[in-house]
Amino acid sequence: MNWERVWTAANWERLLVGDLFNTGQPGGLLITLAIGVGSIVAGTVIGAVLGVLRSSDRRWLWVPAMLYIQTFRNVPLLILVFWAFFVPPIFGLEISQFTSVLLAISLFTGAYIAEIVRGGILSIAPGHIEAARALGMSRIQVLMWIVMPQAFFNMLPALAGRYVVSVKNTSLAFLIGLADLTEIGKQIGARLMTAPIEIYLTLFLIYFVVNRAISWATRLLENRERFNALFLRV
Amino acid sequence: MNLDFSVLWGEPGRLILQGLVMTLKLSAWSLLFAFVMGLVFGTLRWLGLRWLEPICWFYVEFSRNTPPVVQILFWYFSASYILPQWMFLELRDFGYEFGAAVLALSIYHGAFVAEVIRAGLNSVHKGQFEASRALGLGFLQSLGFVILPQATRVILPLLTNEATALIKNTSLAMAIGVVEMTYQYKSIDNFLFRGVEALTAITVIYLVLCLVTAGLGALLSRYLSRHTRRRSAGQAVLVSE
Repeated sequence: MNWERVWTAANWERLLVGDLFNTGQPGGLLITLAIGVGSIVAGTVIGAVLGVLRSSDRRWLWVPAMLYIQTFRNVPLLILVFWAFFVPPIFGLEISQFTSVLLAISLFTGAYIAEIVRGGILSIAPGHIEAARALGMSRIQVLMWIVMPQAFFNMLPALAGRYVVSVKNTSLAFLIGLADLTEIGKQIGARLMTAPIEIYLTLFLIYFVVNRAISWATRLLENRERFNALFLRV
Repeated sequence: MNLDFSVLWGEPGRLILQGLVMTLKLSAWSLLFAFVMGLVFGTLRWLGLRWLEPICWFYVEFSRNTPPVVQILFWYFSASYILPQWMFLELRDFGYEFGAAVLALSIYHGAFVAEVIRAGLNSVHKGQFEASRALGLGFLQSLGFVILPQATRVILPLLTNEATALIKNTSLAMAIGVVEMTYQYKSIDNFLFRGVEALTAITVIYLVLCLVTAGLGALLSRYLSRHTRRRSAGQAVLVSE
């Protein structure tokens, strides 16, 4: 084990921000986090819309949502990344590596989050919905002000799990040549040639810290009072 | 751009089928080892032995919080440093990338399976275990004949999910050059220029593979819960009368 060859200042800089300060090309953890955060936000939005459609009782709403969910849940993410990166140029549409990975992970995560949202909506007692309807709220109002705030709280543990998976999935970016954390680690490993164990343990460490931080942050929100203070106007 | 799906009957189709066989082999071995790992570590965590608890916790948390593709790369590239030389040389002749992929995938999914199995074991009342021990069954007997059959009924849907996730993750093995279906897409795209057709076919095959696995899991789950279902149906009739 020769850690001093791996843990040099130059290597850490490349692992964290890529060549941002040399050539202006961002990479490493920065790209990984950018894709991770972007796909978490986009995936949550897609998932919320699809989940609401999926729990509708009108057939023309829930059948398309179900088809989307089943298709995207049952295809490997790598295949989706390939679809998003290799196929559009054939039809004359230029797409960058960053955009295609972000797109693929968002669509994939969205399908999973839709099922979580559906579970969350089902967890609300029907009495709440009936009471709100009886008080004269419209269906949309009931969804926005009665169902979703309660469902979101119930969904937090499952969502945290999905967010962690989504950050882990950003590592697929290196298979289409984007300079994310895994790719930078591979490059450093290829240059040193003799220290694969140290390099990959370092990568594990960085991913582990980031993912534990996400789980920890959502666990903070699982406190009822803290959640209400942040998301509810009383 | 002209798409011609009839090319799939020729060389690209043959390559995809070869890849499919490799994907199935990879999935089968990884599933087997992942379930063994999950069973062992899930049971150990359920028992809550003081000395093993930190090790089990570390294994599960480490595996669940790091990307599978990095784990595959780790086991592939560091093998020549970890294993004794004769063993590595032997494995290399056998085709080491396949072994590394199986190892990484079973360690990664083993952690998820362990959590599922621990949850299943916790769902069975502790008194069942104590009663079976008191009746003279050994530890493994009470686990195998009393606790696990009841736990399986609860966790089978989750295990099915895990199995489809594993089948999907076998596509990551292309990163170290295992010639499975996703790898074949790359070579068809590079050498035969039939990328879109091949990608469509491969997507459909993965879709069918995962849906069939999920369907089989659902059927098995129905079969295993046939007694409880009938009883609860009977109860429902009694209540309505």
